[in-house]
Amino acid sequence: MKKILQLALGIITSVGGFLEIGSVVTAAQAGANYGYKLLWAILLGTICLIFLVEMSGRLSAVSKHTIVDATRERFGFPFFSIVMLGIVAVAFLVLVAELGGIGLSLQILSGIGFRWWAIPVSIAVWLLMWKGTFGLIENGASLLGLVTISFAVAAVKMHPDWGSAAHGLLPTMPGDGKAKYGFMAVSILGASISPYLMYFYSSGAIEDKWDESYIPMNRIIAGFGMTFGGFLSMAVLVAAALALQPRGIDVEKFEQAALLMTPALTHWGFYLFAFSMLFACLGAALEISLAIAYFFAQGLGWSWSEDLDPSRDARFAFAYTIIILLGAIPLLFGIDPIKVTVMSMALTSATLPLAIVPFLFLMNDPIYLGKHRNGWLSNSVVAIVILISFVLAIISIPLEIIGG
Amino acid sequence: MKLVRDVLDKKLTDREHCEMGRVSGLIMHAGERSQPRITHILVGGDALWMRIHPWVAALARRLAKMWGPKRDDPVRIPWSRVETVGKDVRLDVKARETGALDWEIWIAKHVIERIPGGGKEEEE
Repeated sequence: MKKILQLALGIITSVGGFLEIGSVVTAAQAGANYGYKLLWAILLGTICLIFLVEMSGRLSAVSKHTIVDATRERFGFPFFSIVMLGIVAVAFLVLVAELGGIGLSLQILSGIGFRWWAIPVSIAVWLLMWKGTFGLIENGASLLGLVTISFAVAAVKMHPDWGSAAHGLLPTMPGDGKAKYGFMAVSILGASISPYLMYFYSSGAIEDKWDESYIPMNRIIAGFGMTFGGFLSMAVLVAAALALQPRGIDVEKFEQAALLMTPALTHWGFYLFAFSMLFACLGAALEISLAIAYFFAQGLGWSWSEDLDPSRDARFAFAYTIIILLGAIPLLFGIDPIKVTVMSMALTSATLPLAIVPFLFLMNDPIYLGKHRNGWLSNSVVAIVILISFVLAIISIPLEIIGG
Repeated sequence: MKLVRDVLDKKLTDREHCEMGRVSGLIMHAGERSQPRITHILVGGDALWMRIHPWVAALARRLAKMWGPKRDDPVRIPWSRVETVGKDVRLDVKARETGALDWEIWIAKHVIERIPGGGKEEEE
């Protein structure tokens, strides 16, 4: 009975915690610019994420080691430090984007500019980490995030042409603007396959004391949770294709994205968008701050647990304190959170091999996984998607920067 | 046992299962007539940064002089204190007495405990 409850909660929180500023902004931009044409990128990213999340949980359940523990032990400190530098730098940018997303949501709700929200927001996020437990962060924010289901309601209420949407699930090349299209696909892939989620999930499995008996449950949570979450991303894209593309609205500003649900849900749509983004970004900001602190603590062998008093794992608590405060600084200077979002998502794609290649080696290592090693299917799916993302990223990021 | 695969970079725990860092280096004694043998485990600090580059180690030393607990010699733990080498390396020591937790205790006392709600770092 307890496991059924855990299973249900796991799926619900995966759905509630799926969307964040990256997935919403990239999907909205894709829908507004290319209609349904980029749905394939969300599909591809989500399939890859299902496999990666399942692997992350399995590694922790079987080996009682997190991904970070195992990476340091298996590859040694010099290589680990390169991985840490790359992953933490990109994750930090994503954190800035999420804090900015909370600020932007509060801006459209209150009329007070997001720069003014930078400090209060980061203090609120820090306070939740300081006083909260892992359960509160894992479940609380994600349950609030269920309001993001309104994206799906809005998309369905606008009566999409399901035939053309299904067409979008197969990759096509546009006639012109190939570079922008490619860059957008890369950003969507980066937003879907977020490595911080793997570190968070694998640490969560240790915090929740998973063992091998959790392997089937882990599989179901990863499969259903991420699939439903992927549908929500697709709903954002479909809603943007229907609400924004015909009106020629390009999502360069947050206020433009906020019009995404208004044709279907009128002024309620506006508030639902604002609250969806507020809770989605809050959940993501908490998860990323924790993921970065976990990375340092596990990699360097500090004690860590979100359930301990801060003074009992002082270096871990110190790490997230500093990270969250630093995250507020770029926003105070007025950096555009939407630009940070798109760039950080594309950089996530470009750095995916750094996170995923060592992880695939670990997932095939009998020392850690014994008979629960990866099969050929999971290895191939992940390797192919990562290769596609990486190649697209190294081609399109320079083009996007040159093209402005 | 393969030293690099099985010992280096593994997590260290003390006799009360308290985490006390990772194995950042090993000291080996090579006598003229005897076989080389491992004498100590090095924890944190210099040995770790040296593995990246001596410059990084020099920078870390300089920073540690300005800020943090003062300690002149690296933390070494005699190999005779190793109880088991498995997924972690378990030691028959008390973590606080080895110096491996100096930074943890320093940050707890100087930063975390001073923030309301930070709790008290355990004195035993």
